[in-house]
Amino acid sequence: MNTDELIVQLAGDVRPVRRLPAPGRRMLTWLAVALPVVALVIMLNGLRPDLVLRLNQPRFVIELLAALATGLTAGWAAFASTVPGAGGNRLALPLLPASVWLAALGEGCWREWLAFGDHLGHHAWHPQCMPEIAATSVIPIIALVVMARRGAALNPSVTAALAALAAASLSAAGMALYHPIDASVAVLIWQFGTVALLSALAGVMGRRLFA
Amino acid sequence: MPTCFGMDDKDSTRWAVMMAAAQDGDGATYGRLLAELVPVVRRMAAKRWRPANGLEDVVQDALLSLHQVRHTYDPTRPFLPWLAAIVDHRAMDAARRHYRRDAREVLVEQVPETFLPVDTNTQRDDAEALHRAVANLPANQRQAVELLKLRELSLVEASAVSGQSVSALKVAMHRALKGLKGLMEP
Repeated sequence: MNTDELIVQLAGDVRPVRRLPAPGRRMLTWLAVALPVVALVIMLNGLRPDLVLRLNQPRFVIELLAALATGLTAGWAAFASTVPGAGGNRLALPLLPASVWLAALGEGCWREWLAFGDHLGHHAWHPQCMPEIAATSVIPIIALVVMARRGAALNPSVTAALAALAAASLSAAGMALYHPIDASVAVLIWQFGTVALLSALAGVMGRRLFA
Repeated sequence: MPTCFGMDDKDSTRWAVMMAAAQDGDGATYGRLLAELVPVVRRMAAKRWRPANGLEDVVQDALLSLHQVRHTYDPTRPFLPWLAAIVDHRAMDAARRHYRRDAREVLVEQVPETFLPVDTNTQRDDAEALHRAVANLPANQRQAVELLKLRELSLVEASAVSGQSVSALKVAMHRALKGLKGLMEP
């Protein structure tokens, strides 16, 4: 078949289509699904008893807001990555709040290292965070992937990684409100680490998720 | 003022309007748009596609992709970056496939009609043997046989149904026939 024949076929086959909404609008729709899930998990666990005290600590607030911002920007970027030509360098936007989050955790780890030295490891063991974040992220990830499939994921690994980053970061932000972990090293390993791991795994599975 | 693909800004704006009309189902405008885009798509694809042959297949794959994802275009945004992203993706995809596999393949335009050297294969045993042989093919080759030979779809229709590109379907069909010939021969 030559190109002219192809054009005749395509033009003869054209039907009205429903335009894809802008990435920001799709993200808001996704948040309408994701945030209630996180809120439900917080409600089931109950707010941490020292929340008011922690909200007066600048580093806790910075970490919380950075996790939230990572989730929101990653959600936007995931949807933008399904519009050809729309994302570009802006797909790296979530790296900014993620870097702030990591830096805040790093600063906390440094202080704890100075305070506890070799005994820091005793404060670092909180493996239950990993399955909790993963479980809380399932519905938001599925929702985002289902919505993103309506677009054109030209780079499925990037889209999948951003989707997981968005969902897991929101879950981690929610966990900060109910899970009374004080040690930054534990948050770094078991919460931030879980977010990074889920994003990497989703990236590897990207082609299958968006086949 | 020329854009980075040598086209005028007015062309880009006009194509954006034509694309919006195509999204609303205007087939005539869509056909004119695609015809105008062919040389642009060819230029874009040539930047990524180095082999001597196969550029037109890449152009056709890009047009097919544009058709499949036309709902993702936002008429309030520039048209050329959207088009360029699609063409770039298709061209890079084709180039990867070519260097992984196609460099040793010879594509044929005319697919042979018969599977066996004998003239007739209408006996029930032959039909069952053929059915088993097709079932043993790899999934993409089996799909190519089912769509192109059993359902008698065109390459374009089969590409739209299967998600495989036109060139991938041709390769799969060629390999399926080679494989079936090997399986069916005594």
